[in-house]
Amino acid sequence: MKITIRIALIFLLLSVLAFADITRFDVPLGDSPQLGPPNALITMIEFLDFQ
Amino acid sequence: MEEYKGKIRLILRQYPYKYRDYSHIAAEAVLAAGDQGKYWEMHDILLKKSPKLDRESLISYAAELELDMKRFTNDLDTMKHLDIIKRDIALAEALDLYNTPTIFINGRKVIGNRPYEYIKKIIDEELQHAEK
Repeated sequence: MKITIRIALIFLLLSVLAFADITRFDVPLGDSPQLGPPNALITMIEFLDFQ
Repeated sequence: MEEYKGKIRLILRQYPYKYRDYSHIAAEAVLAAGDQGKYWEMHDILLKKSPKLDRESLISYAAELELDMKRFTNDLDTMKHLDIIKRDIALAEALDLYNTPTIFINGRKVIGNRPYEYIKKIIDEELQHAEK
C-alpha cells in the first residue's frame, strides 16, 4: 500500500514539474474584442487572418 | 467550445498577412462592424465566406447584418482602424509569429490550424491545473 502511495506521489510530482516546465508567453490583453467572462480560468488570445 | 462556457475568455487580435489581397480590408470590416456592435457576427460571416472578402462582398455582408451602410463603407474606405491593426501586427511581430491562426492558451503557443482534440487537450490540462 505504501509503495502504491509513493508511486502515486512521484507521478504527481512529475506531472507538476512537467506543467511548470511549459513555455508560456506573456501576451498583453489590450482592448481587443473579447468573448467570455473576464475572470475565466482560461484566456485564449488568437491572432487571425480572415483570408 | 460550448462545453467550456464560462470557463474561457477569447480575445481576438488582427494579423492580416501583407501579401494577401483581402486580409487587411477584412480586418477593417470586422472592426468596423464591431463599432456597430456586430463584431462577432461579422467574424463568423468572414470565416464562413473566406476567401470571398473583396470590398463588394464585405459590403454585402454588412448589409446582411443591417449595419449603418454609410458609416460602414466610410470606415472601410478610410481605413479607420488602421492604427489598431498596425498595433496588433506589431505585437504579432514582436512575438515572432509567422503563421495564422496562432493561439495562446494561458500563454501556451499553438501555431496553425489544429484539430479540435489537440486544443481541447491543452484546455483540459489548464483547467485541471487551475482547479487544483
